[in-house]
Amino acid sequence: MTDSPAHPLEVRDLTVAYDARPVLRSVSFRMETGQMLGVVGPNGAGKSTLLKAMLGLIEPDFGGVEVFGRPVDRVRRRLAYVPQTEGVDWDFPVTVGEVVLMGRYGGKRWFGRPNAEDRAAAADALRRVGMTDFARRHIRQLSGGQQRRVFLARALCQGAELLLLDEPFAGVDAATEKAIFALIEQMADEGKAMLIVNHDLSILDRFDQVLLLNQRVVAFGPPEEVVTDANLRATYGGRLSLLDEADETLRQRRNTRDPHLARTT
Amino acid sequence: MDHSQWLVPWGPRWIAETVCSMLVGVACGVLGVFVVLRRMALIGDALSHAVLPGVVFAFLLTGVAWSGYGAVGGAVGSVVTAVPEPILLLVGATFTGLLTAVLINLVVRFSRTKEDSSIGIVFTGMFAVGIVMISSLPRSTHFDLKCFLFGDPLAIGRADLWMMGVICPLVLLTIGAMYYRLKLVSFDPLVAAAMGVSVAAVHYLIMGMLSVTVVAGLKTTGVVLVVAMVITPASAAYQLTNRFWVMLVLSGVFGAAAAGVGMSAAFVFNAPTGPAMVLVAVLIFALSVLFSPGHGVVFDRIRRRRLARHVENEDVLKSLYRSGPRPLAGYAAAVSADTQMSVGRVARALRRLRGEGLADEVAGEVVLSPAGVAHAETMVRAHRLWETYLAERANTDPAYVHEEAERLEHAHDLAERLDETLGHPDLDPHGQAIPRG
Repeated sequence: MTDSPAHPLEVRDLTVAYDARPVLRSVSFRMETGQMLGVVGPNGAGKSTLLKAMLGLIEPDFGGVEVFGRPVDRVRRRLAYVPQTEGVDWDFPVTVGEVVLMGRYGGKRWFGRPNAEDRAAAADALRRVGMTDFARRHIRQLSGGQQRRVFLARALCQGAELLLLDEPFAGVDAATEKAIFALIEQMADEGKAMLIVNHDLSILDRFDQVLLLNQRVVAFGPPEEVVTDANLRATYGGRLSLLDEADETLRQRRNTRDPHLARTT
Repeated sequence: MDHSQWLVPWGPRWIAETVCSMLVGVACGVLGVFVVLRRMALIGDALSHAVLPGVVFAFLLTGVAWSGYGAVGGAVGSVVTAVPEPILLLVGATFTGLLTAVLINLVVRFSRTKEDSSIGIVFTGMFAVGIVMISSLPRSTHFDLKCFLFGDPLAIGRADLWMMGVICPLVLLTIGAMYYRLKLVSFDPLVAAAMGVSVAAVHYLIMGMLSVTVVAGLKTTGVVLVVAMVITPASAAYQLTNRFWVMLVLSGVFGAAAAGVGMSAAFVFNAPTGPAMVLVAVLIFALSVLFSPGHGVVFDRIRRRRLARHVENEDVLKSLYRSGPRPLAGYAAAVSADTQMSVGRVARALRRLRGEGLADEVAGEVVLSPAGVAHAETMVRAHRLWETYLAERANTDPAYVHEEAERLEHAHDLAERLDETLGHPDLDPHGQAIPRG
C-alpha cells in the first residue's frame, strides 16, 4: 500500500491496557528515514509503554508495530534502544569501552565472542561521541552527560537504522543537552530515524515531527503546526475524564479478559 | 560436640572432603557474582531452603519397596537403585529449585505481591512442605534433618567428590563460554531484551546452576549457611575490582579459600566446619571493605589525610611567602592567626616543610628555601589564574572569587591548562599580576 522502501517505524492503532485500564488508545503514527521525532506527554501518558510496545517487550491488546515493514522480532538488528541512565547499576564492574562493545553482543549467539571487527566498531562509536579517552575508565567515573553519550555510542555501535531514545535529556544541564542534541542531529543527518521520548518542551521546535501523547495521540505533525497552546493544554491539562469514567465502569463490570472492552473510543 | 574425632587430620579422607568443599566454594563464589550484581541474594537463600521437598522426595524414592508395585514398580525400583544416591538427591533438588524460581515469577505476575514478599512466601512454603514430608516418612527410615540444616562433612562421600568434580568445571565452562551474554544480561537486561536476547533463559540458566551447586554444597555448610558461600565471596570481590572477569576470578578464589581455610581452622579450633567456612568468608569480606584500594575505608582515610596535610603545608608555605622571614619564637601563633589552623598543626606542617627542604631556619628565623619560594609562586599563579577563570568563565562575582580560588589553588597541576584556556592573561580580576610559570 505504500511505495517501495518501508517506513522505519509504523505504529497502527496500537492499544495497550494493563488490568483492563487502557494506557495507550489507538495510537497511530509513522516515521520517515532520517527523521527526528519527539514524543512528549505528562507522566503516565504511556510513553514508556509505547517504547516497550515498539520494542516488542509487551504484547499490544490491539493494533501493532512494524519496523521497516516487518514485525520487530524479525528486524531487531536494525533497531537500537537507548534506555534512561537510571535503569542500570553504575557500580557494575565494567569499563566504558566494554559497555559500548555490548552493542555488538546482540548479533552474537549464546557462545559468541566479540572479534576485532566488533572492537573496531566500538572504538569508532566512542570516538564519534568524543569519549575515546574514557574507554578504559570505570563507568562510575562518568558524569550524567557522559553516561548518556556512552549509551548513545553503544546504540551507534549496533549499526541500527532506527534508534529509540528514552529521555536522553533528563537531568542534564543546558550545555550537555546541546551536545547530546547535536549528536542526535548528526545521526539523523546520516539517515537514521531517531525517536526521542522527551520531557523538555522548550526544544520541541528542533524536531522534525512532534507527537503529543496522553494515552491517545493529541496531535502529530511538524512542530510549527502541532505545538500550539491548545494542543499543549489538551496534552498536559488533566485526563479525558469522561473516557476515564467509562473505563472504570467497564473495569468494574468486567468478568472477561476481552481486550476490546478496553477500547472505548 | 567433639569434632576432632570425625577424621584423621590431613589424612586422605580429610583431603578429599576439603577438596570437595573447595570445589563447592569455587562454584558458589563464581555464581555468586551474578547473584550479587543482579541483586538476587534473597533468591539464593530461597533456593537453598526450597530444595528440601526435592531432597526428601528423592530420599523417599530410595526407601520405597518398589518390587511390591508390580512390573512398573520393579522398573522404577531398578532405575532408583542403579542411580547413585547423591545424583538422585541432586535431580530432586534441582527440580524443586527451578520450580521455586518459576513459582516466584508466577506469584509476582498474577498477584500484586512484590518480588521480595513473593520469594518469602514461596520458599517458606516449600520448606514447610519438606518438613511435613519428613514427619510422614516411615518410621524405619531415618532422614537426618540436622545434616541438611547445618551440613556434616562426615556425610561427604566419594560420590559427592566425583559429583562436585564434574559440576564445578561444568559451571565454570558454561560461564566462560557464555561470558559475554551473561555480562550483557546482568548489566542491562532491558537493552539485552531489546536486542532479542532471552533474558528469562539466562535467568533460569543461572538459577539452575545455582540450585545444582547449592544442593551439592549442602553437606558442607547446610541450608542455613550455604547462601553465605554464594554472596559473601562475591561481595568481597565486588569491593576490590572494577572488571567483571576479575570479579569472577577473585570470587572463585575467595570461595575456595574460605572453604579450604575454614576446614583447617575447624580442625585447629575444634569447631564445626560449615560455620568455620562462613566465618572465614566473612573475614575476607571485612578485610576487603577495610582495605580495598579503590573504595576501602582505610585507604580512603589515608588519602583524605594526605590531602589535608598537603593543603596545610601549602597554606603555611603561602603565609610564609607573604610575610617574609619570621622569628621562630611565636611563629606558629602568627601563622595560626593568619591561616586559622591550630598552633599544633602549624608546627607539624612547618616540620614537614623543613623535611621537604622547602623551608629552613636561619639565625633564629624561619625562611623559605629557593625551592619553597618557587613552590609558593606556583601557588600564587594558580590562585590568580583560578580567580580569573571563575570571574570570566564561571560568571562568579569577582568579590567572591577569592574564597573559591583559595580552595582550588591546591590543584595547581591544572595551572598550565587553565592558562592556555584563558589565553595567557596578565592580570587577575583584582588587577594583580599573574606570575609567569
